[in-house]
Amino acid sequence: MPQRRHLIASAIIVLLLALVPLAGSRYAVDLTTEVMIYALFALSLNVLIGFTGNISFGHAAYFAIGGYACAILLTTYGWPLALALPAAVVLAGLVAAVVGYFCVRLTQIYFAMLTLAFAMLVWGVAFKWKEVTGGDDGFTGIKMPAMIAHHVGYFYFTLIVVAAGIAALWVICHSAFGLTLVAIRENSQRAGFIGVDTRHMRWAAFTVAGTFGGLAGALFGMYHRGMYIENAFWTESAQVLIMVLLGGIYSFIGPIIGAAVLHLLQTFTNQYTPYWPTVLGLILLVIVMVLPDGLIGLARRVKARRGRS
Amino acid sequence: MKYSALLVAAGVLSAGTAFAQQAPIKIGAMYPLTGGGAVYGVPAMAGHQLAVEELNAKGGIMGRKIESIERDDKMNPSAASSTMKELITKDKADIIVGGLSSAVGLAMSEVSKQEKVVYISTIPKTIQMTTDKLHKYVFRTASNTDLEGDTMAMLAGKNKLGKICHLQLDYAYGNDLEAGILKALPKYAPDAKVVLTLKPKLGATDFNPFIPQVMAAGCDGVLSGLWGPHFVSWVKQAAPLGFFNKIKWISGGEIGSHEIAGELKAEYPDNVISNTYELWYTANDPSHAAFQAKLAKKLGTQETPQWAVLGYIGVMYTAAAMEKAKSTDPDKVAEALEGLTIGTPVGKLTIDAKTHQANIGQFWGPMVKKPDRAYRMMEPAEYIQPK
Repeated sequence: MPQRRHLIASAIIVLLLALVPLAGSRYAVDLTTEVMIYALFALSLNVLIGFTGNISFGHAAYFAIGGYACAILLTTYGWPLALALPAAVVLAGLVAAVVGYFCVRLTQIYFAMLTLAFAMLVWGVAFKWKEVTGGDDGFTGIKMPAMIAHHVGYFYFTLIVVAAGIAALWVICHSAFGLTLVAIRENSQRAGFIGVDTRHMRWAAFTVAGTFGGLAGALFGMYHRGMYIENAFWTESAQVLIMVLLGGIYSFIGPIIGAAVLHLLQTFTNQYTPYWPTVLGLILLVIVMVLPDGLIGLARRVKARRGRS
Repeated sequence: MKYSALLVAAGVLSAGTAFAQQAPIKIGAMYPLTGGGAVYGVPAMAGHQLAVEELNAKGGIMGRKIESIERDDKMNPSAASSTMKELITKDKADIIVGGLSSAVGLAMSEVSKQEKVVYISTIPKTIQMTTDKLHKYVFRTASNTDLEGDTMAMLAGKNKLGKICHLQLDYAYGNDLEAGILKALPKYAPDAKVVLTLKPKLGATDFNPFIPQVMAAGCDGVLSGLWGPHFVSWVKQAAPLGFFNKIKWISGGEIGSHEIAGELKAEYPDNVISNTYELWYTANDPSHAAFQAKLAKKLGTQETPQWAVLGYIGVMYTAAAMEKAKSTDPDKVAEALEGLTIGTPVGKLTIDAKTHQANIGQFWGPMVKKPDRAYRMMEPAEYIQPK
């Protein structure tokens, strides 16, 4: 059960976010929408990384599947959003289940490489299946329901969906299932000895991660009114991985912080210099050398030191 | 006397403050400035800046200074889409110019449609932008794959090609160009037959699997869309086999530009007919000399790249449209752009009111050796402009 202070804090954050459009800055609304989408995306990946201890290099695949499926169902087939969005999320989850079925047979680097291979396969399909996905021209001109076509409407829609998604992930991660995943992460052999079917559990975690990744992708595609093959490319998987690492993998809210910090940093850096990759490299260096448990880990260490003195 | 002088002084002063108080006109420019596209994006941005500097020296647009806000489009459509939104919502850009790859161009066009801000596509060639996905606020001052394909088909007819090998890169531009050529081929070369079509991958560097196939196909000409580095790799691998001795190579993708000629130098093969938007050594308009001189000064080289003129034209069209509309209001500027004719370093251009496509042409011609030069030059360079 969530503690009362957590619930209150979450409610306050959601309430504060709901006030953002009142500030009157269109830019702030757009930027917050983007951050919320990335936060959900990063959080979904952390089910695999932080909770299960499996590093996926191909998480963008599910993001892209969710995004493309929602875009295509809305636009090409004219489905209503109430059907298209769930269908896209289910499809992303199904593909994750199929891919996961094979991937969880492996561990460590072999697992990571296989996720990468499947993700590039998804990229290849998006690239080659031009009639459906638009190939490397991208899929643009997504038809949106009038209610969320306006940026403020879309902001509130994103806020509700992301909040619900994060709440669902919280429940999953703190359930018996989530704790079992942590047991697998800590010592998968030992977890096996006490009767946990580790492969099945990891498979389930993979599917959960893919499903919520797909939800983030669907939101992303609608926000941009377009999906592009670049969204399925491995660089996108790497970006979300860095978000997770930057925030801190051993904390539930770490990836949210990481997504916000990295995305805002990237946006502001781009206003001054095109050399974002250099900045990203430096960030990665700092994470690896100084902040192995991310910003949340840093905050905890600072707090602990204060407590001592 | 004293009194009138005072009046004049007051008038000058108030005019001066009026000028100072008027907010600048903001042009958002996006080109790839890092990564693989930078080779094209950086010179295009230089042309863009040249136009802005020139206009500001003359007092800007409608007496208002121009502020150019420049961003890297990263050749990534969703990043470009975010950046363009930011230019519009945060920086309050009045108009957006630029783009390079087709996907980025289409993504930018989508943002322009949503945000109701004019976007002038200065390099992306995808035909969709001015056909299926055309909307009120998008305009193109670059060529497109139908125009390029039409000219290539015409050249195939002119060079009496009977058996044609078709080489295109397997991605949007290659596929669109192929469609453009095949559409026009029956018109210009009714007897020509495409005997072989090969599609290497975008970014391919090893063409050894393709070269023998083309040589064995017995074609007397190749229609190619291998641009930039692809063409350079093909030449390095195929020329030693005597590939270019008999086969005419008619190519889109601007491999007739000085950039490619300067890169390949003596290795540049015979029998190549290709295109370029601009040539530093050839002009079809009197204003070219002044443009080229200024560009040469800015870039510090006499042999200037062709891409600059595209960035330059984008800004010139922006200025002309705003002057004509007497406003920066996107709806009025879009209306002003329809049917607008301006003079550019490559001659007079008109944007079609219906398709929003400018009738920009390209120089086409054979690349020949020059005794006094280390590189080939296009001669005679014929400026082929759509009607």
